[in-house]
Amino acid sequence: MTELPGKPTLNPLIIAAVFAALAVLLAAGPWRYQKPYNELVRPPAWATDISPVRRPILRPEIRIAGFTYRCSECHSLFPSPPETVRTLTQHTDVVLKHGINTRCFNCHNLTNRDTFVDDWGREIPYDQPQLVCAKCHGPVYRDWLHGSHGRVNGYWDATRGPAQRRKCVECHDPHQPPFPPMRPAPPPQTLRMGDQSFSPEHQGVTDPLRVYRHALPEGDKAGGLKPEPEMQDTAEEGWP
Amino acid sequence: MSGSAKAPRDPTSTPQGEPPPGLTRRGFLGKGAAVVAGAAAVAAAVSPLRRLAPGDVPSIEKLLQKHYKEMTPAERQAALDCIARAVEARYRLRPNVQDPPPLDGVEFVYALNISRCIGCRKCVYACVKENNQSRSPQIQYIRVLKMDKGSIDVETSDHHYYPPVVPEHENYYMPVQCHQCKKPPCVKVCPVEATWQEPDGITVIDYDWCIGCRYCEAACPYWARRFNFAEPSLPADEVNPDMSYLSNRPRTKGVMEKCTFCLHRTRRGQLPACVEVCPTGSRKFGNVLDPESDVSYILRQKRVFILKEDVGTLPRFFYYFDERGSRYHEPMAPAEQGGEK
Repeated sequence: MTELPGKPTLNPLIIAAVFAALAVLLAAGPWRYQKPYNELVRPPAWATDISPVRRPILRPEIRIAGFTYRCSECHSLFPSPPETVRTLTQHTDVVLKHGINTRCFNCHNLTNRDTFVDDWGREIPYDQPQLVCAKCHGPVYRDWLHGSHGRVNGYWDATRGPAQRRKCVECHDPHQPPFPPMRPAPPPQTLRMGDQSFSPEHQGVTDPLRVYRHALPEGDKAGGLKPEPEMQDTAEEGWP
Repeated sequence: MSGSAKAPRDPTSTPQGEPPPGLTRRGFLGKGAAVVAGAAAVAAAVSPLRRLAPGDVPSIEKLLQKHYKEMTPAERQAALDCIARAVEARYRLRPNVQDPPPLDGVEFVYALNISRCIGCRKCVYACVKENNQSRSPQIQYIRVLKMDKGSIDVETSDHHYYPPVVPEHENYYMPVQCHQCKKPPCVKVCPVEATWQEPDGITVIDYDWCIGCRYCEAACPYWARRFNFAEPSLPADEVNPDMSYLSNRPRTKGVMEKCTFCLHRTRRGQLPACVEVCPTGSRKFGNVLDPESDVSYILRQKRVFILKEDVGTLPRFFYYFDERGSRYHEPMAPAEQGGEK
């Protein structure tokens, strides 16, 4: 390569071509800006609904074919035998799975069906179901009275507004008391803790801030506790 | 080689007449084309500025705004009005921007019953809705950890679980959010004092003062602070118009945010959004200085533990559990394995 004599010149057309190509590239280049994060996620309406899981009517009423009856309207005509353990012909929607509490009249009042019954046979009003539950579930009732168990809505400061202390049957079905399982709201897609597979440039990169359960040795789970016999089907084979 | 390349150029670049030195018709056109193309390239490079909204450029008023704690009441009101105008311009709704002061004789404490939590994540989304968090990228103050039973090792926990129904029988759930520590390391590390602890125990951020250095995020042992890596997007129909300066007013790109126990609600006596929505009643909130409050009873009577107690930050967030597990319908240990759990 021999040097050109005089000052080296560059054809301005080449510069123009380079700039024009740059302009085209910048304006409509093949690389598009890709958001490294999720699209808009609206909070699901059911997940922000604050109503309790059950809406029991706290009155001794039943609706049949559009008509509302008081319990006593039928039960004064058709008396039930005490100690009933039989397939119900009425109230077939009731599924009784309350542990060893298998008798209707442990809670319902045999003589006045518009009330419940306490341990001494006295009446408990229908709108005070927590007194029925308290017959057996003493510690939970104690905790409920003090606000440790159960749901509260409204105000923490009683001087500014009412606190609505939810009753037992607003969360628990008295005939089937375990809290019903529910579907969870979607998992996070936040930048540091979300699923990062939606963006191509993140694929194949393991974020050290995410802990992958399957990447852990089996012995690290549960602090080395031995699995209980009932759970052995779910436990992996790597236990010591 | 260069000679042969130069030879054909000489006759073409020299016009027939006597040209002024340095300026030729061809040279002018060429240089002109280069200038035009260069200008086009610059225009293309700055073309993203077309997407700049009027609200993206801060006003003089905003630039001169003082730190929250140095504002006079009039300046504070002016700042609230400024927020209201910005929200109205952006979301086309008139917000109720307030600045409720901390209440006398109140220190907020949170208690969470981990034997009742079922991990449904309703608290997460109630919080997002209440506090106007960004939906894209998502920002969530609450992280629900799925834990293995018999362990409290957060390193093996999982917050990505998504089964058809919860709870899963071999797990329990531990939601983590800001613990509102009495010795907050996030406040200690802030280089500009944009975050501080209020008298009622809530650690707050002045979003207009934050420089986005994320030191506090690194300092927090509970991973409770969130950073706006991108411009937060919030659908106008989901804006919560009940706002306050220190909690849920809309944030901008490049600032930290965190749980404030919904102080715009709780300083008016209401319960935080996560407490209101919890279907199981696992979440408890109240004034620990009131001996009759729910949280006082829990701290006195229940089995309470503190997450990462050894880091010494003295959280105001307590986990507790009941005498027996909550889910009696599960298989329980046989009698020879010991008594009640």
